[in-house]
Amino acid sequence: MTRTRRLLAAFLLVLVPTAAHGQESARDIIDQVDRILRGESSHGIATMEVVTENWERSITMEVWSLGTEYALVRITAPRSEEGMATLKAGDDIWNYLPRVDRTIKIPASLMMGSWMGSHFTNDDIVKESRLIEDYDIDYSFEGERDGVEVWEFLLTPKPEAAVVWGRIEYQVRKHDLMPTWARYYDEDGELVRTLTFSDFRVMSGRLVPAVMDLRPQDKPGERTKVRYGSLEFDIDIGRSFFSLRALRSVRR
Amino acid sequence: MASAPWWRIGWRNLGRNRRRTLITALGLAIGYFAVVFMVAWAEGLQSEMIENGTGLLTGQLQVHASDYRPERKIYDTIGGRDGADVEGLVRAVAADPAIAAATPRVYAGGLVSSGEATTAGILMGVDPQREPDVSRIMRGLVRGRIPSAGANEIMIGEEMARQLDADVGDELILVAPAADGSLGNDLYTLAGVFRSGLAELDGSYALLPIGSLQTLVALAPNRVHEIAASTTDPWLADEAADRLAGALARLTRDLEVEPWTRLRPEMMEYVRLLEGWYVIVIIIVFAIAVFGVANTMLMATFERRREFAVMLALGTTPWRVTSTVLAEAFSLGLVSLLVGGAVTFPLLVWWHNAPPDLSWLYGDFTMFGALVRPVLRVEYNAEMAVRTAVALLLTAVLASLYPAARAARVPPADTLSGL
Repeated sequence: MTRTRRLLAAFLLVLVPTAAHGQESARDIIDQVDRILRGESSHGIATMEVVTENWERSITMEVWSLGTEYALVRITAPRSEEGMATLKAGDDIWNYLPRVDRTIKIPASLMMGSWMGSHFTNDDIVKESRLIEDYDIDYSFEGERDGVEVWEFLLTPKPEAAVVWGRIEYQVRKHDLMPTWARYYDEDGELVRTLTFSDFRVMSGRLVPAVMDLRPQDKPGERTKVRYGSLEFDIDIGRSFFSLRALRSVRR
Repeated sequence: MASAPWWRIGWRNLGRNRRRTLITALGLAIGYFAVVFMVAWAEGLQSEMIENGTGLLTGQLQVHASDYRPERKIYDTIGGRDGADVEGLVRAVAADPAIAAATPRVYAGGLVSSGEATTAGILMGVDPQREPDVSRIMRGLVRGRIPSAGANEIMIGEEMARQLDADVGDELILVAPAADGSLGNDLYTLAGVFRSGLAELDGSYALLPIGSLQTLVALAPNRVHEIAASTTDPWLADEAADRLAGALARLTRDLEVEPWTRLRPEMMEYVRLLEGWYVIVIIIVFAIAVFGVANTMLMATFERRREFAVMLALGTTPWRVTSTVLAEAFSLGLVSLLVGGAVTFPLLVWWHNAPPDLSWLYGDFTMFGALVRPVLRVEYNAEMAVRTAVALLLTAVLASLYPAARAARVPPADTLSGL
């Protein structure tokens, strides 16, 4: 148990602990955190609660991942949406719709659209785990916040990176390399949304934040909260699992 | 009729050199024709733009929940969450004397998919029976037929059909975020393909029966986003909206009734711009005419300076001489107007009823998202015809002021003695 995890990743960026102490570059720390959280592969069960001005709902899903390129999410509840699935392979996303037994590739124009009604976008699912490639990373703060030693990082997009954020701020606890929050700013420097990590607990031998809470800045009271019920890493899973054929069938 | 002799003298003088009179009158008549015709043509283009722009999809009047525009959220249905008596509202709208027809609509954004291809589309739920009376979108059918109410059938634009490589009879999948937060999805049969001529519309609109779309996006049957209506005349939409705002308020709260003049303000601004432009055309045309008339009248009065000298020597007051010349000019104006009117109005009536085809000159083009056909369509504008007539008479008289003043100041003795 130990090294890999990724699920979370299916929704965001993440990070984790290991032996990182002071000397490494900011980039190394983020990379390390990312790798540890993601692992080679992962499998978990999560519930997602979405609260909007107009409705509230909760869905349960099973999530698999392999490296940074592949992820598969299958909804298991509520019954009306059971079997709906999302496959990420590289830069592409497909949704499987059991009601019509069809697979639909999400067009590029809808990458910023909501994923399954949540405040996460399709783009979040594709771009998760790409922080190191797409951003220049610097320390912006090192010291004590609320009695905890932390690093804060400033991520600015590389000139050639096709990303939607103007910058990201990211806080990591020094003692266990757990992320505590990430703040996403648009190109005008306005805060767009805040992702908060909490309920750090050991799952399959690895310390992880079990809860991620995403709140859009412009819609007070709205949020999407993902809570992992279980999470395992470095499972025996191959690339063939992340295929369109597999998307249609319920296995594993 | 004490002034009658001066009028008669003026009128008779027109006959003194008939060819000159005729040429001058023709100049003014052509000016009159040019102005009235250009205004009529501009109004024709404008009507074409308004009718196509509003008649294609918008309708001339729309009713929404007051918070629906501009964000157009799927939740903001007429009457709010509880919905409304849609049939009652549609009947109330259609009951207004200026309204020709009214129909309910539901909108959603979603994906339209066929085989491997997927595109984003605007899903529009319509009443297949009533929609054709309000907008022309469904009448643009080029293949297949109109979707049947109650069936999972859909109609898409030609460009979207091309992108999806889909044809009549194929199965399309629609995926749309529903009002309850779920992801609505279902299979539909492609019943028909339409062509509106506007690329953005043909590439992005998918029409399906209103009930089918409500089911897809989890809206109750009494929840609609819009009631669209056509008017008997686009220019009646403003007053109809005012009347309906009062009448509908008794049925449902928080409604917004908007005529096309407010839904499509860019068209309205263009109409105002045109009206300013008419005045400029009148000024330019008659400014040119002024010099032509002035020249003629100067010649006519110079020829007759001996006659004026005799009149003055006999005791005619200078004012009477001036009146004679002005009366002549005014008469010339009247003749011009008769000639101009005789040419202009039959032509206008003819072209109004049978617009000549101008496709040899230019093709279809779009203005403010409205298709304009290549025809020489003219509209009547009585107000402008009258204004132009007044401008013509004023021009004739103004151009004669200087010749008339000179005629009144002819020195009798010097002139008659041959100096």
